[in-house]
Amino acid sequence: MTALAALVLLPPAASAAEAPEVAKTVCAACHGVDGNSVAPTFPKLAGLQAEYLEKQMREFLTGKRKSEIMDASLPALKSADLPALASYYASQKPAAGSVSDEKLAAAGKAIFDDGNTASGVPACSGCHLAAAQGNERYPRLAGQHATYTVAQVQAFKAGTRSNDKARVMRAVAARMTEEEIAAVAEYIAGL
Amino acid sequence: MNPAEHCRRARAAARWGLGLLTAFVLHASALAQAAAAGEKSPDKDSDYTWDAAQGEKLQALAAKGDATRGEISFEVCQGCHRRNAQGRPDGSYPRLAGQHRSVLIKQMTDVRAGRRRNDTMLPFVDRHVIGPQDIADIAVYLSELPVGSDNGKGPGRDQAEAEQLYRFQCVECHGEQGQGDAARFYPRVNGQHYRYLRREMIAIRDGARGNADPKMVEIVKPLSDAQLAALADYMSRLPLLAPR
Repeated sequence: MTALAALVLLPPAASAAEAPEVAKTVCAACHGVDGNSVAPTFPKLAGLQAEYLEKQMREFLTGKRKSEIMDASLPALKSADLPALASYYASQKPAAGSVSDEKLAAAGKAIFDDGNTASGVPACSGCHLAAAQGNERYPRLAGQHATYTVAQVQAFKAGTRSNDKARVMRAVAARMTEEEIAAVAEYIAGL
Repeated sequence: MNPAEHCRRARAAARWGLGLLTAFVLHASALAQAAAAGEKSPDKDSDYTWDAAQGEKLQALAAKGDATRGEISFEVCQGCHRRNAQGRPDGSYPRLAGQHRSVLIKQMTDVRAGRRRNDTMLPFVDRHVIGPQDIADIAVYLSELPVGSDNGKGPGRDQAEAEQLYRFQCVECHGEQGQGDAARFYPRVNGQHYRYLRREMIAIRDGARGNADPKMVEIVKPLSDAQLAALADYMSRLPLLAPR
């Protein structure tokens, strides 16, 4: 009887149609209400894995991942239902990406698919998968703003972002040239 | 004449086509010379024994590996070794599919311990990435993957001489068909990419690999780059047999 009562009282499982309040009032300003941000410095969240989104939010809260821009939103995040927020954005449909420099994107595709064997850069597709769709362990990258991707890879390279799993992204980014970073980001933006 | 000079001359002599017998005689004399000079190969330094099952190598060998978990752990490795661990024909990264579990465990733990010097791989196999159980899981997963005959092959030069050399010098450990010997940590070499085999044999000869059987270091010492290339080519063409 108690179990049944609990079931009845449970809120409906993460309704995608109904955005959590914090998404509408706080996150939407930068990330868009459906997670498809317009400004290229703010990452698109739509369709990213819930595991990844929740991990990032928790690590912004603990300070393991740092962002001055996110700092202002942390009080709101502190009281939010993070699993619900994460699954809301994960269930949003990602807007189609676009490429502005085809030549750069083609160079990026080579790195993304095959890496650079001379400098030991692994193919991005190894973890993030062939279409950059990711999985529950490695985030989706497809369609992300190039500006944001470049900033993150540079941060891994500089060590200013250090919440990567087993330091793997820092090891990879350290081997990438600025040209490779820009090219890969451009390719990813069009996926 | 110091040992390095001796080896250079031995290789040069072998290149002049003096043949197998000469190479063998020089090899024996190189051994004697090295012993007389008190030369230590890198493998003989400290208390490292190339095939000893100790420390985390023993832990990983004793652990029961799980191929499903291994497939997940291997995701980090795919960026270089490719999906299904087929490696790359250009030799930059070896094929790992179908390799013996014991060999894979030895190589992973040796890279972690810095015994096999491999700066490219180290950050992805280091202790903050995986532990002995993960190594056991990855090894089982890889050992069960199928191997095709689409590995990179060499130009096909000097294959008769290479076959003779292989039968004379390599077969005892790596087997008639290049199947290796799991119990003794000798890798399977059939189905492997030619360029990778060539690169590693040269590294072993020149003392750059660090974790080879010292017996092999001595065997390949008098061989020229061309002879090692022909041997690698021969091995890359060996017919495929189930490794287990």
